[in-house]
Amino acid sequence: MTTGVMTAAPALRAAPSHGRNTYDPAAVRGDFPILSRTIYNKPLRFLDNGASAQKPQSVLDAVQNSYAREYANVHRGAHFLSGAATEAYEGVREKVAGLLNAPAPENIVFTKNVTEAINLVACSWAGAHLSAGDEIVITQMEHHANIVPWQLLRDRKGIVLRVAPVEDDGRFDLEKFAALLTDRTKLVSVTHVSNVLGTVVPVAEVTRLARAAGACVLIDGAQGVVHQPVDVQVIGCDFYAFTGHKLYGPTGIGVLYGTAERLAETPPWQGGGDMIESVSFEKTVYADPPLRFEAGTPPFVQAIGLGAAIDYVQALGMEAIGAHEHALCNHAMEALRAVPGVRPIGEAPNKAAIVSFVVDGLHSMDVGAILDRQGIAVRVGHHCAQPLMARMGIESTVRASMALYNTTEEIDALAAGIRHAQKLLA
Amino acid sequence: MDLTAYEDYAETLEALDDEMRFEYLLDIAKKKRGEPFPEEAMDDAHLMHGCMSRVWIVHDISEDRHYFRGHSDAAIVKGLVTMMTDSFSGLTTAELAQITLDHVRRLNLGALTTQRQVGMMAMLKHLQKLAGARPGFQAA
Repeated sequence: MTTGVMTAAPALRAAPSHGRNTYDPAAVRGDFPILSRTIYNKPLRFLDNGASAQKPQSVLDAVQNSYAREYANVHRGAHFLSGAATEAYEGVREKVAGLLNAPAPENIVFTKNVTEAINLVACSWAGAHLSAGDEIVITQMEHHANIVPWQLLRDRKGIVLRVAPVEDDGRFDLEKFAALLTDRTKLVSVTHVSNVLGTVVPVAEVTRLARAAGACVLIDGAQGVVHQPVDVQVIGCDFYAFTGHKLYGPTGIGVLYGTAERLAETPPWQGGGDMIESVSFEKTVYADPPLRFEAGTPPFVQAIGLGAAIDYVQALGMEAIGAHEHALCNHAMEALRAVPGVRPIGEAPNKAAIVSFVVDGLHSMDVGAILDRQGIAVRVGHHCAQPLMARMGIESTVRASMALYNTTEEIDALAAGIRHAQKLLA
Repeated sequence: MDLTAYEDYAETLEALDDEMRFEYLLDIAKKKRGEPFPEEAMDDAHLMHGCMSRVWIVHDISEDRHYFRGHSDAAIVKGLVTMMTDSFSGLTTAELAQITLDHVRRLNLGALTTQRQVGMMAMLKHLQKLAGARPGFQAA
């Protein structure tokens, strides 16, 4: 690496001063400029990380440095800056491969986000390899991004969508899932972690069962990759998708991991520059993966920001982050259960740090608005999971989703905020 | 045009600070004036689409003037919809067509998020649509 983007200032900034063995949220918070601001004259308590996480200074620096010092279009320039930007961009592919323990950088396709990654698989791989009557298995707890692309495919090709149930407490039942697998099952597309319930799906077991039935597996890792270490080779899945902005990186950059075999058999899905070997009016030869799927100028600055974010979380250690968040989640569940009238939605054992709840007699939107006045940022609504809301017999929840910089004090403030809302709205 | 109720709300809001405006809105929701919202009107036909919470609006015409009643399952939205329906009831179609974003802004006054201001504008458009006061968006 000669460009400086990936190795100079941002990489140095990415190494937190605090050691891996003593996880110190206060020190971590110092790395995130936005966390020191106030909202309505109250300290910001940001608990909407499941939607988008905040960015450490090292990510902001990497993006700034890319625009200020290393900016030129990637892949085709005959000049220094283009080479530098290309090296930085392709360097991030290596970092992502490292994060997921993918066999090679060529397994990593950059997309806009998870939604685009799933649509790529649905339109292109599934479009080419599935036919009428073939079955895709999803779960009741999928985000709309892992439902609607398959419905579009169903309408186009006549495939059959089967839905694995979720238990009342949010648990995923492996046996009930396995019962849905048939010799027509061609794809299992499941979330790694529910964005509403925090339920962690046993994706390795799911993959093993799906494989035994002869099906491929796509995992929506939007909420998965941020809370725990992920090893796609241990899971054994065919595809794994995640997004940068939930992993402390910029918006506009996502990742689709695919095995070499699956990517090789996936036709291009968008045509344009960068995805070709040669073009003539008679015949166009497409590039090999991953560039085959990256038509046009890619969001390389955002990718470089994602690289800095990966450096950041790896310096802290995904295990350490996971342990911190797990403790926060337990604290949150206890704190919420202690508030009369609060009902947690999603109580699966060992869940990730995403806590949804409803408050008796109060609309989630009102609770969210009153928490907002106290500087507490949560998300309210159906969280792009309307079928799950219907399954749980509710219309919406309040969701507090935690990140590596949250503290137990913030959780206590949330619980106090809910009591305040109950008082105000009584 | 008679905007007495509107002026009443706007002046009260102007006299309050941010925090009190918020509580005032909740008070409006709790002490809703006039007749209670008819339960049978809480149906799909009276639902205003596109809101995070459910909003129902009933529209009546008397002597060429439009009267609205609104309700929501969320308290804050109930406060907002009550302010809106109280403020802009009793107007003619032509008068209603003259109500703009500026009127709505005075009922917001920074007490609420931008999202909610967008919601209030959507409510105004909905009232205008029901009254046939929005060209191209005539009520059925």
